[in-house]
This record gives sequence, structure tokens and C-alpha cells, in this order.
Amino acid sequence: MAAITGVLARPTSYAGIWGWMTTVDHKRIAVLYGVTAVIFLLIGGVEAGFLRMQLASADNDFMGPARFNQLFTMHATTMIFMVIMPLSVSFFNFVVPLAIGARDVAFPRLNALSYWIFLFGALIMHMSFLVGQVPDAGWFSYANLTEKPFSIDRGLDYWAIGLLVMGAASVAGALNFVVTIINMRAPGMSMMRMPVFVWMTLITSILLVLAFPVITVGLIELTMDRNFGTHFFIPAEGGDPILWQHLFWVFGHPEVYILILPAMGIVSEIFPVFSGKPLFGYPFIVFSGIVIGIMGWAVWSHHMFTVGLGPVANSVFTITTMLIAVPTGVKIFNWIGTLWRGAIEFTTAMMFALGFIALFIIGGLSGISHAISPSDFQQQDTYYIVAHIHYVLFGGSIFGAFAGLYYWYPKLTGKMLDETLGKLNFWLMFIGMNLTFFPMHFLGLNGMPRRIYTYTAEFGWENLNRLASLGYIVLFFAFLVFIYNLWQTRNSRRVSHDPWDALGLEWSIASPPPAYNFAEIPQVEGLDQYWIMKERARAAGTPLTEPEALVDPSSIHMPSPSYWPIFTAVGVALIGGGLLSHYAISFLGGAIAMIGVIGWGNEPAAAPSEHH
Amino acid sequence: MGLLPFRREGYLAKPSASISSAPTGRRSSLKNRTVLFGLIAALFLFATGCFKDDMSTWEAFGPVAQSQLDLFNVTMWLMVVVFFLVEGVLLYAIIRYRKRPGQPRPPQTHGNTTLEIVLTIIPTILVMGLGIWSVFVLFEIDKPPSDGPTPLEVNVTGHQWWFEFEYPDAGNGKKIITANELRIPVDRPIQLNLFSDDVIHSFWVPKLAGKLDMVPTHNNKMWFQADSDKIDEDLPVTLFGQCAELCGIAHALMRFRVIVMEQADFDSWVAGYGPPPTITDKAKKGAQVFAANCTLCHTIDGPDDPALSASRLAGFLTGGDITPVPAPNLTDLRTRQTLAAGLMELSETTLSNWLHDPEDIKPGNYMSARAVLYQSGSVSLDEEEIDALIGYLLDLR
Repeated sequence: MAAITGVLARPTSYAGIWGWMTTVDHKRIAVLYGVTAVIFLLIGGVEAGFLRMQLASADNDFMGPARFNQLFTMHATTMIFMVIMPLSVSFFNFVVPLAIGARDVAFPRLNALSYWIFLFGALIMHMSFLVGQVPDAGWFSYANLTEKPFSIDRGLDYWAIGLLVMGAASVAGALNFVVTIINMRAPGMSMMRMPVFVWMTLITSILLVLAFPVITVGLIELTMDRNFGTHFFIPAEGGDPILWQHLFWVFGHPEVYILILPAMGIVSEIFPVFSGKPLFGYPFIVFSGIVIGIMGWAVWSHHMFTVGLGPVANSVFTITTMLIAVPTGVKIFNWIGTLWRGAIEFTTAMMFALGFIALFIIGGLSGISHAISPSDFQQQDTYYIVAHIHYVLFGGSIFGAFAGLYYWYPKLTGKMLDETLGKLNFWLMFIGMNLTFFPMHFLGLNGMPRRIYTYTAEFGWENLNRLASLGYIVLFFAFLVFIYNLWQTRNSRRVSHDPWDALGLEWSIASPPPAYNFAEIPQVEGLDQYWIMKERARAAGTPLTEPEALVDPSSIHMPSPSYWPIFTAVGVALIGGGLLSHYAISFLGGAIAMIGVIGWGNEPAAAPSEHH
Repeated sequence: MGLLPFRREGYLAKPSASISSAPTGRRSSLKNRTVLFGLIAALFLFATGCFKDDMSTWEAFGPVAQSQLDLFNVTMWLMVVVFFLVEGVLLYAIIRYRKRPGQPRPPQTHGNTTLEIVLTIIPTILVMGLGIWSVFVLFEIDKPPSDGPTPLEVNVTGHQWWFEFEYPDAGNGKKIITANELRIPVDRPIQLNLFSDDVIHSFWVPKLAGKLDMVPTHNNKMWFQADSDKIDEDLPVTLFGQCAELCGIAHALMRFRVIVMEQADFDSWVAGYGPPPTITDKAKKGAQVFAANCTLCHTIDGPDDPALSASRLAGFLTGGDITPVPAPNLTDLRTRQTLAAGLMELSETTLSNWLHDPEDIKPGNYMSARAVLYQSGSVSLDEEEIDALIGYLLDLR
């Protein structure tokens, strides 16, 4: 076997579709993740549009309950697992190696494998639309609604298998970043000299590695209940549906921080640059991130206050949840401290970052009102919660991601996104977001439950629902402006390597960065290394205006492209696909994955041309 | 299609007393801050007052909902203050420290440990204060006060997609099983034992208490009470309830009512509970139609026989066409206000619409899926039979 698989030479071409399919370059993988996430953002956004159209008026018959349940399930699942998470991973991929002065991640082929498995998992889940058996039990899929006889089509199988496959990608990707950040920092970059975004990547990656196994156990049990006659969650057979809720939220709450910590890292990079002064309270921001990452494990049952765990358990989770508000508050104070006495420049990136704080405060405060379990008994499962999650995930994670996109786009492409369009993008998104989600606070307090496809005019919910649906239209235009802004950069002029006078190492090299990133691995002397370098050059009378000079790429050994990651990923995807169609396909997939791993292990270290 | 719920006469939404009495920050001496608070108060009144409705949580008719609302009100106004404070500081910083043309790089400060500690301690005290108060409230509302009247016990079972209410002893040892309308005496604690036969549902009457899930094999317990001094209208008063946990296709249509009555009225309702009379020819014919088509799932002559209920549940869990399923007990249907799990007012017309095409009114319901008389796609009764059935069910003479 080794002889057979070992003969497949490494691909040599970096161009064309094969170049992208075999790439192991972290910057190209970042682009793959980013583009995939934006496409799913469009899909998830359109799903939300259908939901808002249905709810725009009372007693609406635009769609029936079956379709409605499918769409809100897929909207949330898509936005969480196929938009926000890959957007974060896209930033990890692009920024982390550049920010720590490395030439790539620790395991470049594993990085490619993670992307392809993620993509195939997402496709498996969306295949459910093609067969017309779409998951319809909500993104939390509470048992035993997910069990026979209450869920008889294969929708939930697509959901469980899709998430299992994507989960494998997340764990592999996260392990890669933990190893990269711990081992591959440039000399001199101690942990407390790491940019905050790298810190948040590290914390998020550790959370991912620890949290995904929990949901994996739950998903495997669910799949076995549904397909192989076990009864983990079937009460009539002695199982317990509450077990699923514990497994889901022990994963699900750290997941919330997995979604928000990268955005917090992004804005922590942006505030100093556009305030002209270093981050205020760097150690406090880092440690509050660590504290959030640890305490995030002790609050999961606040999603389950109304399950009937009793006053003792509810008390404990009320107190722990109240406490987790403190490190979050600390971060907000420090960001405002960074702005204080600064010289604030209103670039689009900065405006999105400021919008992030403004909106995240609202999400945090409404969060406190349902951390208080007695008042949550009224709010749980109402639109008040829908408002809250969208303030933290849309106002938080998505605004953070947009800030990052506008900020790092010139580094990624060498071209600037248009600032006027960017500001239009920001204001439409800011206004649309508040118009859509602010009324939902009142809808919830006025008693509108979540996940209902219809309501009657008598309940008095119609006007606020109209307002929310109107806001969606504004958001949709904001998204179109963004897409147009990306599109129009194909004609833009190139900008300098450091258009923002930024502080991170990634700005010291050319835009777009060469394949090897750094011709010479930098020596780090402190936090905000590029500012230190620029300051010293200015003091010496020779200001730094040019990026690090390019060198002959062949003089630097970089990992060659490889066929094996995508080959192995196909095998893994087929294992999942077989569970949904014919088990023989799973065995075929297993064989392909096995060959892939062996081929991977026996692959020559470099492209043929590089055999000196 | 008549999906409208309805308001009982005499039950009109009150202006929210709790909101207007809450602190609005008027003590602040700063003029512009007063304006800001006024604006937000107006916004709240607009959103809670104008769109007030029967599911609203802004108004409490009993001690449990009142404790929850008090806690929420204090939290909310505290959060409103924090909101204006923090967003105000943020806005001030954005405006005050915007970059002026030609401005040199500002002073390079790195932090301030004293400030960090102060700004950590203040929110810690704030959230701990609220947290400890919530713990007290949690234990306070957990059980009815032991020195009050004896609670009336009701077993509530959630079904896809309707609620069953069983009074083991509604008075004088009389057992009652009814559906989708919970009749309770005023000023008396109601002890609710929550069950589910199928999936997880959630029991929620916003005016009386927050929700609690109905989980199969878990016997959750909650209580509430309707206080006469909190209800301004004449009794009986009808309150709205709805299932709050996604429970399948007709989740949105799983509603119910709580009817708060004087004890004497409640007692006479209990006394009158029983099968409809069959004194007229039309009612006799209706009874025959019912017996031939409906009794596999529905009981109409008092509480369901437990063995029969068990076999219906077994049929439901087995699945397949034409197996019996648990279905609302129809005893005393004539005293009910609503039809199809609180979806619409019960009348001859709505009942006729329901019998003709239940799937149109409540998509996914098990009657149109499983009952023999709907297997052909439309109801296999003629108009005369339906008319007689309605006469029997509603006790029309």
C-alpha cells in the first residue's frame, strides 16, 4: 500500500482550480473559508427573509408550519456553524501566522483537510433541501421531538451527520491553531506580547477542542437512537430527553463564546490603530478572555431554567451567569479606555468596531435580565431571547467580522474596499439591525413565543413584527452594498503595505503577502511590534515606508501543495453520506479515508522540482 | 378562516400600573439626562402600553407573576441606567476624541490598575446584589405559602397539540378531566403537576406565572394563584396561555385558556360536569354518530377510563393510520369557550367548520390524520349527521 500511495507526486501547480484544491497555504485557505462563509451568509439571510415575510402580518398564509420550522432551523444552524464559525476560522487562518511572525500554521495539510471536511459537512446538511427532508426541530433539536415517531423523515439525520462531519473539521482546525500559537511564535514574542486577536484565537481553539467532543457524543447518540434502535433520549424506553439538553448546552454555551471571542479579538486589534494609542489594559483584556473561557463551562443550565431543575440548581446557575457578566464588562471598559484621549479616525473598520461595542452592550444588558432566573421564567422561549441572541451574534460577532474584513482586506488583496460604500454599508447595517431586532425585545415581553409560524392580530404583535420585517429589507440592502463593494475592488488601485499605520507584524510585509510571509523571521521586542519598529526608524531619521523586501521564493522552503487533504476529506464525507443513503458507501468512504491517510503519511516532503 | 381568539366581555387591557410607577430617573438634576430618561420611558410606554395584549408579561394577576415582574422591573431600570451611562461615555469619547486635522499622536497610555479594580468591583457588587435577590425569589415562589388556603391540585398533561387538565378532587371528591380550558377558583393556590405523554411542551400563563416545561417522565411541579385584588374586572376572567417549547408542526396553534371564577361558580361548574343529555331525537341521532365515529379517541361521559387512555397512548406511539390517539375529553363541551386548543371561539359555525376540515384550521392535527372518517380526504359524514353531532356535542335542544 505504501508503495502505491507513495508514488503520487506532489502537485506542482499553484494556479487554477487545482491550485486551490490542493493548496496548503494558510492565506488561500483563509480565502476559501471566507468565500464559503459569505455564500452561506447569503443563504442563511434569505432564509431569514422568508421567516420575516411570513411573520410580517398576523394570520399570514405565505407559508405553512412545516416549511417555517425547516427554515428557522436551517437559518440558525447555517448562521452559527456555516457563517460565524468559518468567518472566525478564516480570520484565524489569515491573521494568526502573520501576526506571530510565522510562515504558515503548524500543520498546513491538516489545515486544508479541516476546510474540505467543513465544506463537505455543510454540503451534506444542505443536501437535505434537495431530497426535501429538511431538519425542522430548531438549531438545538431538543429530544425527544427528534426521535421516532415524532420525526419520521431523514431531516434530523442530515442535521446530525452534517454537524458530526463539520465537528471533525472544527476540532482538527482548532488543534492546529493551539499548536501553531504555542510553538510558532517569532523569537521574542512571549505570551504576554501576543496580539489580543491571537490570544482570543488560542482561547477559542481550546474551547473548540474541549466543547465539540461533547456535542459529538450527543449527536452520535441521537443518530444511533434514530437509526440503530438505541434509546438514549426516548422516555418511553427508559431514556431521558433532558440528557440531550445537558449535552447540547455543555457544548452550546462554550460555543457562544467560541462565536464571540474572535470578534472581541478583532476589535481589540482595531481600536488601538484608529485611536492612535496602545490598547488600554492589555493584561486585563487577555485575562478577562481567559476567565470567560473558563467560566463559560459553568453556566450552561441558564439555557434550561424552565426545564424544572429546581431552585437549588437554578440558584447556582443564576449566580455563575451573573458573574460572567463581570469579565465581559471589563473588556468594554478597556475598549472605551483605549478610545479615551485618543485621536479617533472614523474608517469603516473602526465604525464597525464601535458599532460592535454599542450593540454588544445592549445584548449584554438584556442577557443580565434573563440570567436572573425568576424573570427568565417569563422571557425564556420568547422573542426577548431572539432579540438578545441577535444583539450578541449579529451586533457582536457579525459586526466584529465586518470590522475585520474592512481592516484586513488591504493586507489580503493589496486593494482597499471603498470607504464611502463601506460607510453606507455600516449605516444600513446599523440601522437595519436595530430596526429588526430592537422591537423583538418588546414582542417577547408582550408574550410572543419563539418558533411560532403564525399569530393572531388580537395579540397586538403585528406592528412590531412589521417593523422587524422592514428592518430586514434594510439589512438585505446593506449586504448587497457589501457584495458590490467587494466586486468593485477588482478595478481598484493598489495601496501601500500599511495603509492604516497599524501596529501588528502582519503590516510590516508586502500586500498581498508573499507565499513565505516573512523573508526573515522577525525578532519581537514588545507588544505592538510594528509600531516599535516604525518609531525607532523615525527617531533614526529613516522612516519605514517600504514593506520587507521580497526574495526569490525558491530560496525559502515552503510546504508543497498536496492532493491528500481533499482526497481524505472526500472519504470522511462519504462515511457520513453513506449513513444517509446506503451503508456500503460508508465503507467505501472509510476505505478512501484510510488510503488518504496512508498516502498522506508516505507523501514526499517536497514537489519533484525541489529534489535537489 | 376563523383563527381569531377573542376577548371575554368585561376583560379589557389595563394601562400598565407597574410601568408608570417604576422609577424613571426624574431625580436626576441634569436637564438633558431627564430628557433622555423621558424619551426612553415614553418609548417603553409606547411599546408596552399601545401594543398591550393578553399574553403580555407587563401585568401580573397573582403573587408568582408579581414577584417575577418586580424583579424584572428593577433589573430593567437598572439596565436602562447602565445603558445610558456606558453608551453615553462611549458616545462622549467618540465625539470628544475624534481626530482633528494635523493632530499629533496622542499620549501613549497603557492602562490604569486602580481604575480597572474599581470598574471590576462595581459591576460585581451590582450583579451579585441582583443574583442574591433572585435566589430569594426563586425559593419564595417555589411552593405555595404553607399558611394559606389548601391548594387545588390539577394534573396537566401536554399532548401534541393540546392540553389536558385533570382535577383529582375538584370538590366533594369529584374527579374531572377536561381539555384546553383550566377553570380555577380565585384567591386559592393552584398546585399544578405537569406531565407530557409525547414530546416536551411548556406551560405558560404569562399573567399568572412564568413558564415551566412539561417533560415526559419528569413530574414538574409549579403553582400559581389569581388574586381578586389584582384583577379589576368582574369574574369570571379569561386569561391566555400558550405552549412555549417547540413541540412539532402545530406548536404555534397549541393555546389554552385559564378561566378565573368565584369559588361558588367554580363549584356549580364542578357539579354540572357530566355527559350531554339525549332527550331530543336530534341529540339521540348525534349520540349515535358520535358513538360510531368518535369514541375510539374521545370520551364524552365523564373522566377517561385510565386503561382506555393507556391504550390510546400506545396506539399513538406505535403510529400508523387509523390507530387511536389521546384526544381531548369532550365531556361538558357546551361549557367551553374555545375550540381546537384555544384557537377560536366555540360556536355551531366554528364547530361545523372544524368537523368539515380540521386540517385547514390546524395543520398537522392527528384527527384528520388518523380518524377513519377523514381517510378519504374529506369528512365522510353527511350534513345531517354533522348537524346532529353538533347538536349533541353542544347540547342544543
